[in-house]
Amino acid sequence: MEFTNIHLVTGIGFLLALVFGAVANRTNFCTMGAVSDWVNMGLKGRLGAWVLAMGIAVAGAQILELTGLVDIGSSIYRTTNFGWVGYIVGGLLFGAGMTLGGGCGQRTLVRVGSGNLKSLVVLLVLAISAYMTLRGLLAVFRVNYVEPLAVDLGERGIADQGLATVLGSLFGFEATPVIRWIVGLVVAALLIGWALRQKAVWDNRENLVAGIVIGLIIVAAWFTTGYIGIDDFDPVPVEAMSFIAPTGNTLSYLMTYTGASINFGIAVVLGVIAGSFLYAIVSRTYAIETFNDRSDMINHLTGGLLMGFGGVLALGCTVGQSISGISTLALGSFIAAISIITGSAFTMRVQYHRMDDMSLVKAWSVGLVDVLMPWRMSD
Amino acid sequence: MSDFTKELDASGLNCPMPILRAKKALKDLQSGEILRIISTDPGSVKDFEAFAKQTGNELLESGEEGDSFTFRLKKA
Repeated sequence: MEFTNIHLVTGIGFLLALVFGAVANRTNFCTMGAVSDWVNMGLKGRLGAWVLAMGIAVAGAQILELTGLVDIGSSIYRTTNFGWVGYIVGGLLFGAGMTLGGGCGQRTLVRVGSGNLKSLVVLLVLAISAYMTLRGLLAVFRVNYVEPLAVDLGERGIADQGLATVLGSLFGFEATPVIRWIVGLVVAALLIGWALRQKAVWDNRENLVAGIVIGLIIVAAWFTTGYIGIDDFDPVPVEAMSFIAPTGNTLSYLMTYTGASINFGIAVVLGVIAGSFLYAIVSRTYAIETFNDRSDMINHLTGGLLMGFGGVLALGCTVGQSISGISTLALGSFIAAISIITGSAFTMRVQYHRMDDMSLVKAWSVGLVDVLMPWRMSD
Repeated sequence: MSDFTKELDASGLNCPMPILRAKKALKDLQSGEILRIISTDPGSVKDFEAFAKQTGNELLESGEEGDSFTFRLKKA
């Protein structure tokens, strides 16, 4: 077999993902856990790790783009196709799914690597529902009912959904390179500044390590696909880590291997599982976990289904949209991230109220009030 | 006499359920009373340390029994 550009890019992607998986396992990096710590205990350590990763990714990706090294604008996030319904509905469903399924896409892969067979079930369902939403039965719904609601910014004379461009069109200035440097710097500084102001981030230094390493891995991923991957004959799409569509593609790749070709996303999915597995073996924390509770199994199956469907609608997950996408400064990525957090927080509040044997309708309405007016929340 | 007031079995459940159930169970206890929790989620070890620190309920014990993790929380 000839060694080509795609092998180089996927090889580096696999190695980056190996580090991602090991570090995420070691530091307990979990975006659903971040929302849980925040909503259920008022603790912002893991949320800080996530926001820190966003900030570092913004800084690095913007430097790569504005110095002309990587054409980040050609990725899927910052297009003129502003699919706001997908970002919001998909994000909310994804947030609910990750809460029911024991963690988001990357966490599911990390847990599979450390022996959690419950997460393996989630992974399989997630992969199938993601693929069904990309190309299968659920794609019919997406194409007919969600995509037509997207706003084409190009028709309104807006060049893309980047924050600088959108702000420019709102306030009547042109998004010159100087403006884009300023917007990039301000967003990175706000995110990193907020993360570093959280005491819990410093109390548990694992959060600092997770935020920094994962942020840098996203930047390295952009560099890999967008700079190393440049090839006249065999170019690869410019992308960074994401875990929903690639998980669907990985399952398809494994099932149609002889007729399929590898890509960056597939290498990343496999790399995270492998990295987490290696860490679990070295640290002697590898342990088989299985279902022993009926409702737990129902929750995990539902979680996988919602994550695959919602993640494709929203164009990404807590890493794909919420770190990689945000690093491009696409407005839709911020909306998707906020929707995911809201969907997750809402689901946790509903679960909490349901323990009082509250009816589903009442738990939903009380949960909704909790999320919309958190200052009124009594516990 | 047992060394806890109430026991919560969160076996088979993972984050965030053990914390949510503990939070709910603690609501029904008086200050100084003790909640014993059984969990099988390895992540719950760190979760209950953080929970105790954050909420002021004292974590009297965090141990392992076979495949399970056990905790005793004293309500503040």
